[in-house]
Amino acid sequence: MDVASITSLQNRDGGWPYRKGGGSSTEPTVLALLAQSIDQGDPQSIERGLAWLRVTQRQDGGWAPQPQVSQSTWVTALAALLPRDALGASRHARAIDWLMGQTGREASLVYKLRNELLGEGGGVIGKHEGWPFFPGAAAWVTPSAISILALEKARRYKMAGGIQERIEIGQQFLMDRICQDGGWNYGRANVLGVDADSYPETTGQALLALHGVRGAKLEKALAAAQAQAQRCRSAEGLSWLQLGLQAHGITAVGPAKVLPNRHVADTSLGILARAALSGRNLFLE
Amino acid sequence: MHHGIRRRDFLAVSAGSFALTRCSLMRGREPQSRVSIVRAAYTQSIYDTVRRLLVEHRVDVRGKRVVVKPNLVEFDPSTVINTHPMLVHAALEGFRAMGAADVRIAEGPGHRRVTMDLAEAAGYFETIPHFEDLFVDLNLDDVSQVLLRDPFSRLNSMYFPNTALGADLLVSLPKMKTHHWVGATLSMKNFFGLVPGSVYGWPKNVLHWAGIDECIADLYATFPRHFAIVDGIVGMEGNGPIQGKPKPVGVLVAGKDLAAVDATCCRIMKIKPAAIRYLMLSAGPRQLGESNILQIGENIAHVQTPFGLMEEWRDIRL
Repeated sequence: MDVASITSLQNRDGGWPYRKGGGSSTEPTVLALLAQSIDQGDPQSIERGLAWLRVTQRQDGGWAPQPQVSQSTWVTALAALLPRDALGASRHARAIDWLMGQTGREASLVYKLRNELLGEGGGVIGKHEGWPFFPGAAAWVTPSAISILALEKARRYKMAGGIQERIEIGQQFLMDRICQDGGWNYGRANVLGVDADSYPETTGQALLALHGVRGAKLEKALAAAQAQAQRCRSAEGLSWLQLGLQAHGITAVGPAKVLPNRHVADTSLGILARAALSGRNLFLE
Repeated sequence: MHHGIRRRDFLAVSAGSFALTRCSLMRGREPQSRVSIVRAAYTQSIYDTVRRLLVEHRVDVRGKRVVVKPNLVEFDPSTVINTHPMLVHAALEGFRAMGAADVRIAEGPGHRRVTMDLAEAAGYFETIPHFEDLFVDLNLDDVSQVLLRDPFSRLNSMYFPNTALGADLLVSLPKMKTHHWVGATLSMKNFFGLVPGSVYGWPKNVLHWAGIDECIADLYATFPRHFAIVDGIVGMEGNGPIQGKPKPVGVLVAGKDLAAVDATCCRIMKIKPAAIRYLMLSAGPRQLGESNILQIGENIAHVQTPFGLMEEWRDIRL
């Protein structure tokens, strides 16, 4: 699929569904807009998509995954990746404020105190603050990585105080969650004393958010990501790896087999990854 | 570690007492639940075996919408994490043959968002013709809010995929596995895959904070039109649901009462059903008791295969 095929899947309300025929959702809408913005998209389609996002922004500044959900979630970070001028300066600022107010529940004082009392303190859980998928839950790799990227864009506009600190703590959170094999999974490197394997998609996301970070652990992560890319079975996973590795100046070599794009989100990511390989990584601009 | 086990035992007993009271008040005297145990293999014979199970349990799906929910979690060629694709295909064909108007396969994995790629790696595309047209990724489906009536968990409402909510019959097709958080994952725990990742994330961590066992009981109560066929041909023991070891048992276990099906699976695995907290919350000790279950087919004793348990779970051994 290319940009034209993405445009053809746009719903009448201006948003995009995950799959053909579905209702509009925030995540595919943002990714479709990012893909269009990099690959000569249809200006009318882009404006309709942006209008859908403006209408669906919630009172608290965040976005729900779908309009029928009455809760802002991590997809707010995705929306905040869009250019401030396209979204509207005040809307963008409110989204960043919402993100700055979110942390994983395990970072709360109450939870830390509970762990100390139960003798379960001292591990990586709660050591550094990341972002949850859903408010009130623990922090994980994907929402933390996307939030870091959104805050990095916001930092250029000198918005809310403390942004730089949250970015750095968020990056430390990611470094805490690195798996034994060098990559990242959803965010738990060890379960009940057993090492867990990393995934391509989350490894790529973490590497994107850690661009500019150096060190031995990062070198191991970059090697793991390159190995993952070669045996990757998923177009979405490979796209994230390509984006993440490109952020560190490395071109990922994928498997010989062509991996199919299956929905709007992975098709859009494929376009964004191709652009990154050509030198334009929209997540870092 | 001992402290944790004692606490879990205490909770199980407390929950059991509460559930018993609740079930007794709500349902009065329960009839016996029919549960089948049949020997099976991943061969062409599984199609006939599944068809016979559906007939045996008089599963009336004529003109109805059926959603078949396998357990598709992760792919690792060195072990057996997922429901075997032949069983999923056999169920699909079986319900079609029984006159279902529409049969869909649906799943929403808890850790990975690349569901279709997992399905391909697990052999679903290869085994099930037109799989991509039949499959719904529940993580990415449109959702609706459902108020939970008298919930066990701390949640008052949840969002669920419209595909699952619109099903006339939801068929749980889990893998018979031990589970590091809840002891055993069977037909009821398999309902975790109904919770949409697009709303709650990967993992669906909101449910963990609200209580895993309690949420399983809430999911079971929310989707009352169900049937189960458990893939116990080769299960998983030890550190399930992902990092355990293959455990051949050679059976399918099926029935309309998922609590009774899971209790029977526990006995086959040599696990005390009453030590599985979500079973006690959902059903209570009487419903889980052998006297309440009409066993059809193989005798439990003839197929009983002790599953290896993690140290943390040694007290659930039957």
